[in-house]
Amino acid sequence: RPALTLEQLEGVTTASTFVLDQPRCTFKDYGNAVIWLVVALDKEISNFNNSAGPGTPETAFQSFPGSVSAYMTLNATLDSYPCPKPAGDITVLRVGSETSCAKDASRPTCNGPLPGPGPYRVKFLALEGSVPVAETVWSKSITLRTAKSPSSIPTAGSGHSAGMIAITAILSILLAILLAALVATLVFCGSDSCGSSTFSKPESVTVRRYNTHHVYDQPAARL
Amino acid sequence: MAKSDDCVHILQGLLVFGNVVIGMCGIALTAECIYVVSNPHGAYPLLKATENSDIHAAAWIGIFVGLALFALSILGIIGVIKASRTLLLVYIILMLITFAFEMASSITAATHQDSQTPNVLLKQMLERYQKSDPNNNSDNEVTKTWDELMRQNHCCGVNGPSDWQNYTSAFRDTHSDADYPWPRACCVLDAEGLPVNLDGCKLGVSGYYNSNGCYDAMSGPVNTHAWGVAWFGFAILCWTFCVLLGTMFYWSGIEY
Repeated sequence: RPALTLEQLEGVTTASTFVLDQPRCTFKDYGNAVIWLVVALDKEISNFNNSAGPGTPETAFQSFPGSVSAYMTLNATLDSYPCPKPAGDITVLRVGSETSCAKDASRPTCNGPLPGPGPYRVKFLALEGSVPVAETVWSKSITLRTAKSPSSIPTAGSGHSAGMIAITAILSILLAILLAALVATLVFCGSDSCGSSTFSKPESVTVRRYNTHHVYDQPAARL
Repeated sequence: MAKSDDCVHILQGLLVFGNVVIGMCGIALTAECIYVVSNPHGAYPLLKATENSDIHAAAWIGIFVGLALFALSILGIIGVIKASRTLLLVYIILMLITFAFEMASSITAATHQDSQTPNVLLKQMLERYQKSDPNNNSDNEVTKTWDELMRQNHCCGVNGPSDWQNYTSAFRDTHSDADYPWPRACCVLDAEGLPVNLDGCKLGVSGYYNSNGCYDAMSGPVNTHAWGVAWFGFAILCWTFCVLLGTMFYWSGIEY
């Protein structure tokens, strides 16, 4: 059963492409057949007829999904899908990778980018000439990614962290204390009412030395 | 008298020591803020574009506050040794003004950290990266900065390459999803700047594209700077608070 690849790829589904695992070891007995991928909208798979030929207007990619219910693309012979798959190889099919022929009506089997998010279903169909000889069942529903508009990103402030609140609060308190202390000091000490006996300035030391000079003079005068 | 002389000398010594520390911290703050302002990590065009240059403003204030602290600390030392009332009063008032400015710088730097969320950068990237308006210079700056960032740090988008898939963008308007699920700068590039394996990159095979987001590489250095300016400023202010209280007490005890 065709399925989205199980490989760990970032681009398993994008907005217009998806990645399938290659159908290895699925069509073992049909060496002459050409294997096609049929892509259809989920709700239109019942409209697809296996006898529809690839490369015809009824299966042209360019008319999908308007007038065409399913398109056929990515044709390959069984040689491209050798069985068993070598270990370690990434064997995938990227549906929607050909952008050059997306609008080119002369390339109806173009593997062009898908026109919407789907959902889509796919199956592999093996044709010998124009006769269908084998097919897989339809895959499960594949939905592609939808992109939102950037204006839906919420950019409201995440609030204030604890650190910022702590800094603001503590610094405001410190500044308030300093201003209060300054006002108190100016009011209390502005009119020379403090500092008389607490400590003295360096100049008073020289005054004391001047007094000592006088004391030494006195005994000399008495004699 | 001798005892209070000792007390005086001890207080003078403490105040001189306090002012020396303030002077040195002022020089350190100036140096740190000059480093922050000189934009060593190249993510500032993105910050300017988000009109969030708080960290720049905080750092510029920090430079001048640092120089002021150094000058005032010298004034303080002279004032304490000469026990001059006028000098010390001038010192206290100017220090209070500097305190207020440094407080503003510190709070601004702390606020900056809160407002830089990944979403702000994500929105800016989606709306302006590769916006094809040749007249708008700041959009080109954003594009160039992002390309440099993604190439140098081996990262893609803000949260990862899925940013380009989950949201429409200016980039998506000009580059089809099938050819460019994410910008080429998200691919692992060779020496000439071309993707090593373009299909591998478009598929998203690990090893051929950058799977990490750039938010960590971008916000890390800037947040460290903001943290440094905010908390070093806070520490200096706490020390200055103690020195100023001591100076006021000393001033009130000086003979007129």
